[in-house]
Amino acid sequence: MTELFVNGRKVRVEVPPGTRLIYVLRNDLALNGPKLGCARGQCGACTIHLDGIAARSCQISIEAVQGRSITTLEGLGTPDRPHPVQAAFIAEQALQCGYCTNGMIMQAAALIAAKPSPSEAEVSAMMNANLCRCGCQPRVVRAVMKAAGRTL
Amino acid sequence: MTLMDNRIHFASAPVSLSRRRFVQGLAAAAATGLTIQFRLAEGQPVPDLPAMIKRNPNLNAWVRIAPDGAVTVFTGRVEIGQGCLTAMLQIAAEELDVAPGRITLVSGDTAQTPDEGVTSGSFSMKLGGTALGHACADARGTLVRAAAEAWKVDASTLKVEDGSIIGPSGARMHYGEAASRVSLTRPVDPAARRKPASSQRIIGSSYPRVDIPAKVFGQPVFIHDLRPEGMLFGAIARPPAYAARVVSVDLAPIKAMPGVVEVVRDGSFLGVIARREEQARAAAEKLAAAARWDVGPALFAGKGVFEHLLNAPAEVKVIHETRGGALDVVSIRHKAEYRRAFQAHASIGASCALAQCADGKLTVWSHTQGPFSLRAHLAKALRTPEVSIRVIHAQGAGCYGHNGADDVALDAALLARAVAGRPVRVQWSHEEEMAWEPWGSAMIVRLEAGVAGDGRLTAWNHDVWSFPHSTRPGPSGGMEGCNLRSAWYLAEPLKASKPRDGALPNGAAGRNAVPIYAAASQRVTTHFLAEMPIRTSALRTLGGFFNAVSAEMFLDELAAMSGHDPVSFRLKNVRDERLVAVLSKAVEMSGWTPTPVSAGRKLAREMLGMGVGLSRYKNQDSYVAVVAEVSVDTASGAVRVLRMWSATDTGRSINPDGVINQIEGGMVQAASWTLLESGRFDVGIMKAVDYADYPIIDFTGSPKIQSALIDRPEMPPLGAGEGSQAPAGAAIANAIFAATGRRITEIPFTRERVLAALQA
Repeated sequence: MTELFVNGRKVRVEVPPGTRLIYVLRNDLALNGPKLGCARGQCGACTIHLDGIAARSCQISIEAVQGRSITTLEGLGTPDRPHPVQAAFIAEQALQCGYCTNGMIMQAAALIAAKPSPSEAEVSAMMNANLCRCGCQPRVVRAVMKAAGRTL
Repeated sequence: MTLMDNRIHFASAPVSLSRRRFVQGLAAAAATGLTIQFRLAEGQPVPDLPAMIKRNPNLNAWVRIAPDGAVTVFTGRVEIGQGCLTAMLQIAAEELDVAPGRITLVSGDTAQTPDEGVTSGSFSMKLGGTALGHACADARGTLVRAAAEAWKVDASTLKVEDGSIIGPSGARMHYGEAASRVSLTRPVDPAARRKPASSQRIIGSSYPRVDIPAKVFGQPVFIHDLRPEGMLFGAIARPPAYAARVVSVDLAPIKAMPGVVEVVRDGSFLGVIARREEQARAAAEKLAAAARWDVGPALFAGKGVFEHLLNAPAEVKVIHETRGGALDVVSIRHKAEYRRAFQAHASIGASCALAQCADGKLTVWSHTQGPFSLRAHLAKALRTPEVSIRVIHAQGAGCYGHNGADDVALDAALLARAVAGRPVRVQWSHEEEMAWEPWGSAMIVRLEAGVAGDGRLTAWNHDVWSFPHSTRPGPSGGMEGCNLRSAWYLAEPLKASKPRDGALPNGAAGRNAVPIYAAASQRVTTHFLAEMPIRTSALRTLGGFFNAVSAEMFLDELAAMSGHDPVSFRLKNVRDERLVAVLSKAVEMSGWTPTPVSAGRKLAREMLGMGVGLSRYKNQDSYVAVVAEVSVDTASGAVRVLRMWSATDTGRSINPDGVINQIEGGMVQAASWTLLESGRFDVGIMKAVDYADYPIIDFTGSPKIQSALIDRPEMPPLGAGEGSQAPAGAAIANAIFAATGRRITEIPFTRERVLAALQA
């Protein structure tokens, strides 16, 4: 039995040693935010926060997160109390299919927490390893800037 | 059934809408009094029914009113990230005069919705939206007439407010009551008339996408999020090459692996069912490695694909020809050849399906673009009657054409059959998707044209060599064969349907090969290779992207040779006013003053240039012009797209922001195709299977974009989802040409190719 701290709650799971966190979050804890993408850490769809830092849950084993605080998209905000990045994604309609959206929002939220007033170039650079195939990068940049209180 | 009433109901459940401002907008519209439709008088010609209604003629196939007034509408179209369901709700709300939030929309379910074929080709608004709008207008008119009859008043004196019919003395009758007085179980009335654009309030507004909040808050939206009770996970053991077949395999060691519930072998189809997803994947990998395979013959006999395209047997067909101008009495005569690599859909989320066999019935949740076609081909592969299968659409990641969506549905079904009663979910790995999905065809285009002394085109010949662009599962009772990949590997294998090229006006290999320019003498010839060693199918725009990009590159070469700038040369040769309008708008927005391109100009370290691309998708859909500004690093060959401007005329746009999202997304995707993407393969299989080997565009590579929409409310809607790729790719190509005076003729324009062209 492994104890995890997810979205402010203690949860217990029984999973084989070495299991990647993405599978535990999605399949054991029924969380839908983190998405299984490339499973190689290349696309960013599975991004979560580990002690407030953006991390790729497909690359992290269950053992590596013992005693650490995990936040998923579900824990970031809710329809009643959206995180500013979530509100900005809705306001800017910053997605098409939405499969990469989890990673975009989690990456952006961590970015803004670390650097509250980023420039447009900084946003692009910090978001660069999150891939979107629908081509919504310009909208995502707009949404992140909006969430940071900056307009383009 | 647990699957239907538990967590999966969202697949076909009401799309919840509660946007106060739009409800207010609707109320305001209703308060001003909306036009009431009349039936056409006797003797007037009956208008033709929309095509999708001819296919699904009953009114209650499209709209149903419950006794309590609840409204449900049905569409055979499906959400693939393009905003289709939001637009459908807007259309239904508009025509019914019911707040969008009170309408339940059911989409893509073989047990419930009309069969509208495949959601593809930018047809959803043009065909599906037109049909749904007509049916809803018919329903509204019928309900209003029922109230008028009950109150013995003229129907034209009545209005509707959010599903309630309002009488002259303030009497109200809700739709449920009106529906109890008439039957909607009858054929749709061809004479039903939709609201004129001038009185539309919801159609034409940028209504927020109804699926976005759930995606932003991590609520269950995708098939990947379905977790019915008792669900198991499946994974497929893939052969090392497309032509490979199993010689022998020992299943016992795999069965003994942790979590493995069942191992399935049917000929060369090998799959694993396990309790955990990662266990299924690990076991499948081990199974593939443990099997002995006969790898079969080498792809393209070990030669390059372009050599194969030009030399392998092909069906040669002149698909378009006009006579008039001559090639030999001109001032300029020019020929060129362009090439495009195999390119992938490369979805961020690999294809996924959930299947359950219970009580002799198979239910499959799939992000297929064609639920009815998938059902037909599942029935062939599983050798079971279609009526025993239900396909329900649930969303997947964006597909951009025919990816692994249909194939994985058969994989899930084959595995679910082995554990009867238990639902099995299969999500391919990204590598599996890249290697095993159908790819967009490699292509060659050769162009030849003549220009008269006054700068007018006299003759234009376009030849295109291509593999198939549509090998999707076909409709029930359609062609022989089965187009679900694993069916070809079974112990009693099925063959794929014989691929056919799509005919004009839509075209497939020849899509957009007919010039938009007014050369008097035109000839378009397709060289269609039905045999495809690397399986190909629909990638967004089919052949349209490369045909139009080639033509636009060629046109700029003709402009340069005749001393014209790219814009005035286009204006000399375009006859369609709507093309002129988008071209002028995009150029104006960009602030560009075009000048003739000087070939072979002297190169500095960094060269800047602007270029334009102009296209009318399928020669009958949206009109799009794009201007691009690029910088070329002449030392490294690296191209950066700095900015792009687009102007689009898509007729009546149902949702302008939705159109812009599609147009701009298409431009970014086209930049990726044009600069980066190329499928690398070895003798047996595609090898470009991860993002390191098949990179797609990232944030720093994406241009800044500014877009304009030329709305034409009185015109019918034209498909927008595939309108911008070709003009965007062409604008980039032509901006590089303008910047350097050199033409790179093979897509993608990699650094190596750019450098080679600069040094030539």
